[in-house]
Amino acid sequence: MAASCSVKVLFEQEGVFRHPSSDEDGIEHDLLISGSLRIVDKDAEIIVEYRPLEDTVDPSNMLCAGKDSSSVMEWDQCSGERSHQLLETQQSYETEWDMVNAVSFKKKTCTNGDSSLNHSHERSRWALAFSVSELRSITVKEEGWTFLTFRLRETSSSLPALHFHQGGSTDFLDNLRRFALLSESPDDDTCLLVSSPNKALSQSFENLLDDNNFGLVQQKFRKDPYVTTLGGFSKVTNYIYDAFRGTEEQHQRPPEEVADVLGEVIPGLEINQQEEPGFEVITRIDLGTRPQVTRREPLSAEDWSKHQDPEGRMTNITHLKQVIFKGGLCHAVRKEAWKFLLGYFPWESTLEERKSLQRAKTDEYFRMKLQWKSVSEEQERRNSKLRDYRSLIEKDVNRTDRTNRFYEGIDNPGLVLLHDILMTYCMYDFDLGYVQGMSDLLSPILYVMENEVDAFWCFVSFMEQMHHNFEEQMQGMKTQLIQLSTLLRLLDLAFWNYLESQDSGYLYFCFRWLLIRFKRELSFQDVLRLWEVMWTGLPCQNFHLLVCCAILDSEKQKIMEENYGFNEILKHINELSMKLDIEEILQKAEGICLQIKSCKDLPQSISAILGFDTEVSGSAPTDYESAPALRPPPRADACSNGHLRETSSHNSCKVAFIS
Amino acid sequence: MTSKSALLKVILLGDGGVGKSSLMNRYVTNKFDSHLFHTIGVEFLNKELEVDGHHVTLQIWDTAGQERFRSLRTPFYRGSDCCLLTFSVDDGQSFHNLSNWKKEFTYYADVKDPDNFPFVVLGNKLDVPERQVSGEDARQWCRENGGHPYFETSAKDATNVASAFEEAVRRILALDDRADHLIHTNTVDLQRKTPPDPSCC
Ligand SMILES: Nc1nc2c(ncn2[C@@H]2O[C@H](COP(=O)(O)OP(=O)(O)OP(=O)(O)O)[C@@H](O)[C@H]2O)c(=O)[nH]1
Ligand SMILES: [Mg+2]
Repeated sequence: MAASCSVKVLFEQEGVFRHPSSDEDGIEHDLLISGSLRIVDKDAEIIVEYRPLEDTVDPSNMLCAGKDSSSVMEWDQCSGERSHQLLETQQSYETEWDMVNAVSFKKKTCTNGDSSLNHSHERSRWALAFSVSELRSITVKEEGWTFLTFRLRETSSSLPALHFHQGGSTDFLDNLRRFALLSESPDDDTCLLVSSPNKALSQSFENLLDDNNFGLVQQKFRKDPYVTTLGGFSKVTNYIYDAFRGTEEQHQRPPEEVADVLGEVIPGLEINQQEEPGFEVITRIDLGTRPQVTRREPLSAEDWSKHQDPEGRMTNITHLKQVIFKGGLCHAVRKEAWKFLLGYFPWESTLEERKSLQRAKTDEYFRMKLQWKSVSEEQERRNSKLRDYRSLIEKDVNRTDRTNRFYEGIDNPGLVLLHDILMTYCMYDFDLGYVQGMSDLLSPILYVMENEVDAFWCFVSFMEQMHHNFEEQMQGMKTQLIQLSTLLRLLDLAFWNYLESQDSGYLYFCFRWLLIRFKRELSFQDVLRLWEVMWTGLPCQNFHLLVCCAILDSEKQKIMEENYGFNEILKHINELSMKLDIEEILQKAEGICLQIKSCKDLPQSISAILGFDTEVSGSAPTDYESAPALRPPPRADACSNGHLRETSSHNSCKVAFIS
Repeated sequence: MTSKSALLKVILLGDGGVGKSSLMNRYVTNKFDSHLFHTIGVEFLNKELEVDGHHVTLQIWDTAGQERFRSLRTPFYRGSDCCLLTFSVDDGQSFHNLSNWKKEFTYYADVKDPDNFPFVVLGNKLDVPERQVSGEDARQWCRENGGHPYFETSAKDATNVASAFEEAVRRILALDDRADHLIHTNTVDLQRKTPPDPSCC
């Protein structure tokens, strides 16, 4: 088994010392052991190991983690009774862990007591190694340098202190935070309490959707009623589908066990059902409280023109975007500002440049318009694609925002423009052509622009963002549904589990929201507001997904309390249309963004969705009101960073894990 | 089963713009709104009714007709008790597409016995004077494709809409009677809604 373990060094700090004289009696004074401290990933288990520079092998003093993931610490000094007792506990946990291992990582079963470290060369008298999951607390103290004292769960005494003579303790703790939650102890500010330290948790969370071998996914898809339709689904889903059809060995697990496993691998799950002996129910919170944010007034025409230099270049764009994000635009500003927000006009362009741009774009537009205008009936008869596009557009134009004054009545010029722009767009992008939903995206733009050419080019820009929603395989929709589900799991796993239990985990009911960016959910004026806010690109990438989360956050209580099933959830969500309050939603969505952003132990998948990983300082809004209080100032030894706020927010969840 | 109200799921399928949503709204709310949006996603409405002494709740599902949205709508086909294949009499193409719709439904709805599954065919927009599909052509198609009942409807002026939905209910109940009969003769516990066979597709 040992040979098959993959070992990856995740962090290494040299110049870490042990001072044996102070921890052990009978050791020569002044003896300093220099070595390196590492965090390693041994077959998906995170181990902290300290190795002295010279390896003097002395197995008698080896401190080692017990079985792979269980929490048995074997001290050679232990009394016989204690070892016996530990062994018992170990056995009682074993089945659970084997299950987790088998299901989540297909790990080869580890034989009982076969320490993953016993085989290694590091049996040095001064070596230390323990699994992060063993860790109970870390004491951080200063003595001209920082030294850390580790305390493990199964023992009352602490491990020998490690002295960071060459610095690096903060780095070490930061790295540890990737695998464990460290929170300041309420009664000792030098002490960091460690909870739920299991790399498996965050990793399998990240892998949930793309790990072929991920047993859970197989389980979850097996009970899904739509499995047979997955053939038409995304690559990702097909991947899962393949996984589902994969190995037989994991197919017999009863659902209750799967639920248990879920609790193990997905952070934030509430498991306190049976209060099994041996389960320590701990509070594991991934996110702190959600900050309250306020919205502001829309940007006035006067303020807009203040951001323009004499040549017409927009200035202080970062600030401008923030103001727009916080309050939107006055209607009078929209006609001009949207062209910038959508990227039709470059922010740095002068008035002159924009005029010539518009002239060129007008020519280009009418050339394309002429293309379909000049197609004869004969030609069209032989061009089935064009015929289909035209017929769909005609049908849909008659069914788009017909109660809006711009499109109401028969022979309203707005209808003709809507039709002509959509037809011209087919010429612009013939492969995509016209897909239902596009008329909804165009209608507000045309309404604001009141100009065929400008509306067309703004629509082209908007479609660049939305194109993937409408493509043949609807890949964009599938990706977004998966991303949304990832976010929901982080924000409220209990709710997500509820949806899952109602076969609604795929969030089909959000389809319309995503396809046309809430166009049908909000009043026309609110759509204008939401879109201009989204087009600022603030406060994070994929903000619209957080808008979804915000709406669902307000509905989840009702959905769960009323015990809505698959149909009722769909109906309930459909019927929210026109009943939503845009300012309230934006406020909540921004709060969620800040809440997630301030969480340090964010799974990589989440950072990737929201673009936190790609954000370089500077591209992120620097003076954006990310309330300094929300981001604790980094302290020298980083022990103040309380990511675990005991039962603080309504988002707090509990998870049981084996200790 | 005759005593308590059964929930029957029917689904409206057909090309975009043939009037599926209008038919559903006409039947459930008795209104016709020519400014209705085209459908994005999936919607359903419930309607309670009594047919031949049977109280039933009809759950009518409506989806978007465009080809592109197939992967969205097909998951909702499962569990349907009847499929209403819809075209519009002023749109020849929508009539030609009926067989595709039938195929798509049969495939994704996991119908165990397609020959006996109740389909009802609706030729909508009867009120429009410029017809492209004759009643005779439509009836012939229905005969040749499994003897489906055919209704010419108008969601706009409410012609035949209720009769079409009621016929759907009758067809479903007729199937049930046969199932009940089977239970008596073979003492096989045939549930009306047996879980779909996982080996399919
Ligand atoms: N004259 C007439 N027009 C109708 C009738 N039924 C629907 N319409 C019109 O036909 C157009 C399409 O109707 P919808 O009910 O939206 O069509 P649909 O089948 O739901 O279309 P999708 O949602 O795009 O799949 C609308 O403009 C309706 O007003 C009818 O019986 N007579
Ligand atoms: Mg419709």
